[in-house]
Amino acid sequence: MIPVVDRRICTGCGKCLQVCPPRALELREGKATIDEEFCEECGICAAHCPEGAIAIPWPDFVPHNEQIS
Amino acid sequence: MKYCRLFSPGHIGPLRTKNRIKYAATVTNFNYRNGYVSDREVAYMEAQAEGGAGIVTTQGAYPDPKGEGKGFMGQMAIYDDRFIPGLARIAEAIHRHGALAALQIMHCGREGGVELDYCVMPSVVPQRLSYFKPPREMTLQEIEQAVRDHVAAARRAVEAGFDIIEISGIVGYLISTFISRYTNRREDRYGGDLRSRCRLMVEVIQGIKAEVGDKVPVGIRLCGLELLDDRGGNTPEESLETFKIAEEAGADYVSVTIGWHESARSVITRDVPMGHWLPVARRVKEVVKIPVMMAFRIFTPELAEEALSRGDIDFWEVCRPMIADPQLPKKAAEGREHEIVPCVACNLCFSRLYYHQPIMCTVRPTLGHEGEPEWGYRALPKAPRRRKILVVGGGPAGLQFAATAAKRGHEVVLLERSAELGGSLLLASKVERSDEELLRFVSYLKGECERSGVELLVGREAYPKDAEGFDLTVLAHGARYLKPFPEAIIPKEAFSPSLTPGRAAVIGGEGVGVALALYLSSRGFQVAIIEEAPRIGRDVNPFYLWRYIQILKKRGVQILTGSRPLVLDQGKLLLSHPGGERALEVDLVITALREDRSSELQAWMAHAPQVLLVGDARRPRRLHNSVHEAYRIAKDL
Repeated sequence: MIPVVDRRICTGCGKCLQVCPPRALELREGKATIDEEFCEECGICAAHCPEGAIAIPWPDFVPHNEQIS
Repeated sequence: MKYCRLFSPGHIGPLRTKNRIKYAATVTNFNYRNGYVSDREVAYMEAQAEGGAGIVTTQGAYPDPKGEGKGFMGQMAIYDDRFIPGLARIAEAIHRHGALAALQIMHCGREGGVELDYCVMPSVVPQRLSYFKPPREMTLQEIEQAVRDHVAAARRAVEAGFDIIEISGIVGYLISTFISRYTNRREDRYGGDLRSRCRLMVEVIQGIKAEVGDKVPVGIRLCGLELLDDRGGNTPEESLETFKIAEEAGADYVSVTIGWHESARSVITRDVPMGHWLPVARRVKEVVKIPVMMAFRIFTPELAEEALSRGDIDFWEVCRPMIADPQLPKKAAEGREHEIVPCVACNLCFSRLYYHQPIMCTVRPTLGHEGEPEWGYRALPKAPRRRKILVVGGGPAGLQFAATAAKRGHEVVLLERSAELGGSLLLASKVERSDEELLRFVSYLKGECERSGVELLVGREAYPKDAEGFDLTVLAHGARYLKPFPEAIIPKEAFSPSLTPGRAAVIGGEGVGVALALYLSSRGFQVAIIEEAPRIGRDVNPFYLWRYIQILKKRGVQILTGSRPLVLDQGKLLLSHPGGERALEVDLVITALREDRSSELQAWMAHAPQVLLVGDARRPRRLHNSVHEAYRIAKDL
């Protein structure tokens, strides 16, 4: 899963750029931006973000019978 | 038959297995965050059963509603009846292919509470790994509840159709933390001497046995060696005793595992020779009558057959080698061992779990896509139009691309400049003696090319005019090395055995630089790594990096981070350094700085209708990036 950057929280410190193995991050308008073409979905950026601005979008599952209620 | 023991029937409790291969419980992170089984997980598990193993084990399911037992974001749950339908899909998929279905119950204990701000343990013993949550001591009531949770989980597993129940009691998970004197300091009936520390395990086994009856065997995975001597863990004798206690409690089989996640020793990386841990299983086998199994670096069917013949084990548990190739059993049975996709113990799969991502496999790009026909796990669909393709470079990217494209029906010619195929893997295989194992992957890829009809031309330099007559040219000839000084040599030259040991500066401390430093320091060079970033090894798997750094420090390698080379003048290398400028006396400067080959595109485009860059030639990265990128592009051609 490609991590998601919350641009409201990102301070543009650049820590994630330093740890991203495939160098798939850059600062655009002072905010961390992921190049999806090169992102290998490793999640290392999320683990190192000091602000908690990068998250991995984990999905929940809602079974049909629970959707009704 | 070559593997007569491996493919002989076995027995687990009252059940008969068709062979002695058990796909071992493996967390995938393929499931939903709220514990429901995903289609992706079902397809993956079906592939495992289809591959021919006699027993297929699910990943560990966590048994408690609070999620204290949940150690991974995508771990499946079994704490409520509402999870039964999803689990039943896995059991059905396994049964469709004639394997026995085992469900593992795993309360992650010290490594649990992934979504909480604490984890539970018998006693508060601080975590050594920062990833894990601060521990909280369990009350007596909570321990009793944990037993009931395990028993209820087993009942649900049987309702879902599973044949075997397995309990996980290893590496720092709940039951192991009770068993180990390192983490269990309790003074009530669950702590104290070994038998008391095993009480939770015994109650769980007995409770489950009473719940599921005689027809459903119950097995347990336990630590054969904790490797926690530096922290006051159990002695090997105590660990051995735990298997006897499990047998007495009614376990129908035991699986012998090695080490805790916080053990300060290599356990499953390449530096541990294949088969290294078998003597530990052997010792267990000498003290129990129930079947004994083991995974842990038993990577080939040959090795497993020998271990079975010697009587070290009764069943071969396979984890990583079957992530790499679920069809391993079938291929071995049919004498097609050379077609097995070989696990190279890179631990990419494992490390991804700790960054909350689904597992991936360096050598098998189709992992996690078994249910998507376009990914070609079983067979790649034929291309609508047959194209003539030239692949330049016989490293992992080129070989993977060529084989994949040829399987889709394209006509493929591959040119490799040197006399040997393998590209930078040939160098990587020389770093440490155990890295020779990487060559298994080169042999496999070469075989894939041959089997799919790729024309492989080695010792043949490629020029842009070679592209004429081809519909597509793929440049997979690796990265180009940047020379900060004309005197700098490239890695290939540094691996020449004729170099006389001296003072060497390696420019760049990512994977290539770390590998060079390891290799040269082992040859007696005095090495300095010069890296601009605050740390070395940004692209090295953490499972390997800690040990590499330990070795480099032991060999006196200077690690100069935050540094940049400025001038090289008569053996004096001037660096910018956080503390100002600094000079190093050097005999040799090696560059580990890589760049892509996009600057070469123009020249090729003059002769080729279409040119693609793949692998390190496109962007220098790691092995799995090259392999996956090549596969992805070629499968869609």
